[in-house]
Amino acid sequence: MSVLAEVTGSIGSIGYGIATLGPGIGVGLIFGQGVQAIARQPEAYGLIRQNMLLGFVLTEALALIGLVAPFMFGK
Amino acid sequence: MPAMSEKKIRPEDDARDFAGAAWSIPSYLLSGMALYGGAGWLLSKWTGVIVFTPIGLILGVALAVYLVYRKHGR
Amino acid sequence: MSTLTLLASGEDKFTPPGLELFDSPPIIPGVVWFTKPVLLALLSTLIVVAFCWSAFAKPKLVPRGAQNIGEMGYMFVRDQVARPFLGKDADRWMGPLLSIFLLVWVWNLMGVLPLLQFPVASHIAFPIVLALGVYFLKLYLGIKHQGLIGYFKNMMFPPGLPKPIYLLLAPIELLSTMIIAPFTHAVRLFANMFAGHLILAFFSLVGFWFLFEKLTPLGAPIGVIGVVMTIAMTGFEMFIQFLQAFLFAMLAAMYIGNSLHPSH
Repeated sequence: MSVLAEVTGSIGSIGYGIATLGPGIGVGLIFGQGVQAIARQPEAYGLIRQNMLLGFVLTEALALIGLVAPFMFGK
Repeated sequence: MPAMSEKKIRPEDDARDFAGAAWSIPSYLLSGMALYGGAGWLLSKWTGVIVFTPIGLILGVALAVYLVYRKHGR
Repeated sequence: MSTLTLLASGEDKFTPPGLELFDSPPIIPGVVWFTKPVLLALLSTLIVVAFCWSAFAKPKLVPRGAQNIGEMGYMFVRDQVARPFLGKDADRWMGPLLSIFLLVWVWNLMGVLPLLQFPVASHIAFPIVLALGVYFLKLYLGIKHQGLIGYFKNMMFPPGLPKPIYLLLAPIELLSTMIIAPFTHAVRLFANMFAGHLILAFFSLVGFWFLFEKLTPLGAPIGVIGVVMTIAMTGFEMFIQFLQAFLFAMLAAMYIGNSLHPSH
């Protein structure tokens, strides 16, 4: 079976580039809806802030693991 | 030590706390990964079992998430 | 300028600009260290000093001209950067913060000014020096205001957490504040300016190559796209330059503020 198409070069950076899609959308959703929630009910700012930060840290964790993964798995 | 008037939180204090939290989160994640991932990497180099590095990394991430939860999420 | 020298080698295929974009020869032959980034950094310092002098040297009650713009910049830094993090100490720290903000902004603007076109912060030495200065200031202030033991105790063992997890979490806090914070402080500015410069060079090279160097009927639309993208990315880059300067100054204020009043 002959090779028809091949991706060469720095596949790790392609992997990281794809890995930023999910957390990018996730962080945007978190803060976008957080701002909307604050606009609807400003008294709940403390509660919304805590949950925003929690969601942000979990999403950001995935982005940073994606950054490290090429170094861990080589190439 | 400023007065502990926790009843009324002024908006500028809120903004400062939020900015402080938001900027410290990536640095907690990075340092947790560096510390425990580095420890796992050293351990795997010493023992030869390769799997300690990812374990250390994930452990660092989990600990950093827990730290943020305890500090800012309650 | 350097883009033209890249093409003068007479290549056949389009090669995107690489790291050689950031190498600069010495301007005065013999003085090896005096290169274009150094000249631009000195020029930025002169610009900031001249602007602040003309704005604030002889202040009038009703501001006109440079004083007007200078006051707008001062109010912006005071209200958005200094006051949120320093509280009542803000006025004392306006000197360093305003200088840092204006200097970094002029550094970044060098990247889009015609003929100069080199963002000074894309040589990592410049952000490192500023970030190290803020770092040592933070250490000095923290130790002066909270004592050597108290500073590290307040940083590593914030009150309100159950005892056993202190063992696991104190190293994370220490590493985060001592090592990762100045590192990200410098690298954030450097990476943004480095990437922005590469993007601008790439798109302008695309436009130049396909419209002037190797003009073909099929390649001309690509050249037009390159030119349009250069214009769009220049606008975006100017916004990013302002934002990165503001962010650098804001983080400097945050670190100084955390040293002066420990977060509890």
